Amino acid sequence: MAILRKMLIQFLLTVVSIVLISGLPDLFLTKNVSSYWEKIKDVSVSLLHPGHLQYIPFKQPRPLFPDFLDPYFYSITILLTAFLLAFFLAQVLAWMTMTLPERVRAVIKNLLTLLESLPDLLVFALVQMFIVFFYKQTSILLSDVASLGEQRIYVIPIMCLMILPFIYFYKMMVLLSEEESKKPYFEFSRAKGLRRTYVLLFHVTRNTYETLFHFSKTVLWFMISNLLLVEWIFNIDGITYYLYSDFRAEIMAVILVFLAIPFFVFFGFLEFLLSIRLRREAGA
Amino acid sequence: MIRSIKFWAGCIVLAALIGSSLVHQMVFDSKIKKVPVLYNDKGEAVKAAPLPASPDMPFGTDRQGYDMFAKVMQGAKYTIPFAILIALQRVVIAFFIAIPYAFYFPSWARKGLEQLLSSFYYVPLTIIAIFLLEPVLVERIAGEKEYFTYDFSVRIFLEVSILTLLVVPMVSVMIGNMMTAQLKEEFIQSSQVLGAGKIRIFRKHVVPHLLPKLCIVFTQQCVSVLIIFAHLGYFKLFFGGTDVCYTPFCDIPPQSISNEWSGLIGEYYQNIFAHPLIALGPVIMFGIAIYAFNLVTEGLQTHFASGKRKRTYKKEEKEDTIPAGAEQFTFINEKGA
Repeated sequence: MAILRKMLIQFLLTVVSIVLISGLPDLFLTKNVSSYWEKIKDVSVSLLHPGHLQYIPFKQPRPLFPDFLDPYFYSITILLTAFLLAFFLAQVLAWMTMTLPERVRAVIKNLLTLLESLPDLLVFALVQMFIVFFYKQTSILLSDVASLGEQRIYVIPIMCLMILPFIYFYKMMVLLSEEESKKPYFEFSRAKGLRRTYVLLFHVTRNTYETLFHFSKTVLWFMISNLLLVEWIFNIDGITYYLYSDFRAEIMAVILVFLAIPFFVFFGFLEFLLSIRLRREAGA
Repeated sequence: MIRSIKFWAGCIVLAALIGSSLVHQMVFDSKIKKVPVLYNDKGEAVKAAPLPASPDMPFGTDRQGYDMFAKVMQGAKYTIPFAILIALQRVVIAFFIAIPYAFYFPSWARKGLEQLLSSFYYVPLTIIAIFLLEPVLVERIAGEKEYFTYDFSVRIFLEVSILTLLVVPMVSVMIGNMMTAQLKEEFIQSSQVLGAGKIRIFRKHVVPHLLPKLCIVFTQQCVSVLIIFAHLGYFKLFFGGTDVCYTPFCDIPPQSISNEWSGLIGEYYQNIFAHPLIALGPVIMFGIAIYAFNLVTEGLQTHFASGKRKRTYKKEEKEDTIPAGAEQFTFINEKGA
C-alpha cells in the first residue's frame, strides 16, 4: 500500500512538472510571463478533458484519442520488448563471462568501454547499413529498413533500441558481480564446498538486483529518448509522429504523461517485489 | 600524480582535438580546403564532389567539395569546450543544492524532495530539450524577413542554461544522496561527538571524500551532454542557432553557424546511404570524444580506488614497525617479585 501511495504521489508530481515545462516554449517565443500562466492553465484544462484534444495531421483537425492509442501501444511494445531482451541477454552473457578467468574479463571490460562509447546515431546507422549490405550480398532481406504506411516493423527498431542498453547492463552486471564476489560470504560459501556457478547464480545475482533496479531507471530514461530517434529514422508510425505532427504544448503534455504511465506501473511492480524480498529477509 | 594510462590517453585525445582545432584557426585562419573536382596527372577531370575518403582527406568531401575532416576539426573547439562547460555547471550547481539537502533537511523533507526531483526520470531529456530549444534556436520567418527570436549570444546563453538546468535536479539528488551516505559514516559521528560543527565536518570530512566522486560524475555528465548535442543535431537544432533557408526551391539544408559537430550531423546525416563516410564523419568524432571521456572516467576510478588501497597499506606498515624489543617489558622473575 505504501508503495502504491508513493507511486501515485510521484505520478502526480511528474504530471505537474510536465505541465510546468510545457508552457516554457511559449514563454521563450513571446517573452511574456502572463501568457505563460495562461498556457499552463490551458494545458491543465485539456489534460483533464483529453477527449476534446485534437491534432492536425493534414491541415484538418482530428480528435487525438482513438487515433493515438494504437500507435502508442505499438511504441510501448517496441520499447518494453527491447528493454526486457537487453536485460535478459545481458544477464545470461554476464553469467557466462563470470566463469571466465580474470585476465579475459579485463579484456572484455575494456572492449565494453569502447562499445559503450558508440553514439546511438552511429549504432542505428550501422544496423541500417548492415541490413542493406547483407541484402546486396545475399539478396535476403532481414527486415524492412523503413516502415511504409500501415505495415509495421518490429525486428529492426527493437534491435536498434536494445544494443546500447544491452551493453550498459552487461558491463554493469559484470562489475557488480565482481564486486560481490570479493565479499566474505562468497568465500565462505566456496569454503563450504558450494560450486562457483551455484553461488554465482543464486546468491551473487540476487544481491546485485537492488543496484540494477536503480540503474535500470537511468537506462530506460535513455531508451525513451532513443525511441524518438529510432521512430524518426525508420519512419515508424508511433507516438513520435503525433509529437512531431503537432508541436503544441497540450499534445506534448498528453504524450509525455502517457509515456510515463507504463513505467510507473512497471517500476512500481518491481519495487513491490523488492520490498517483499526485503521484508522476508528482515523477518528471517 | 595520476598514474593511469587510460586517464592520460583520454586527456591527450581531448587536448589534441581542441588543440588542433585552435591551431587550424590560428595558422590557417580556419580555411577549409575546397576540391570540387579531382584532376589526374594529365589535368583531366576524374571525379566530382562529393569525393570518397582518401589518405589526404579521411572523411572525403561534401557535395560542395569542402574537406569534411577539416570541417570536423574546425568544429571541435566549440563542441568539446561547451560540453565541458555545461557538465561543469551541472555538477557545481548540483553540489551547492546538495549541501542544504544533506545537512539541513529533516529526513521527511529529503524524501519528499527526492520524489519530486526523481519524477524527472520519466520525462525523456531529448524530447524536452527539443521542445524547449526549438523556439530559441530555429530561425523564423515573418512576411519576407527571416529572423531569430534572440541574438546570437543570448541564444548560446539560453541553450547552455536550459541544457544545464534540465539535468540539475537529478544530479543534485545523486550528489545529495552521496553526501547523506557520507554523513552516516562512523568517523563523522565520532568527530561530531568530539564537538565538530557542521562547517568543519563539511570542510574536513565531506569535501575530501566527495571530490573524487564528483570528478567521476563530471566526466559522465560530459558524455551525456555530447549525446544530447548529437540528438539535437539530428533534429536540426544546432548549437548557437539553425539558419533555415526559407526561399522557395532552396535545396541547401539548414546550416549550422560555426561547423560545430551537432550542426554537421544535422547537415550530413541524410547522406547515410549514398555517402556513408560523409554522414558518419561527425558521428564518429562524437564517438571518439565520448570514448576519451569514458577513458578519463575509468582512469580516475582506478586511480581513486588504488589511492585508498595505498593508504591502508601504510597503516599496516606502521603497525608492523612497533619495536618489539626486550626493552618494552621486564620479566617478572627477573624483577624478583
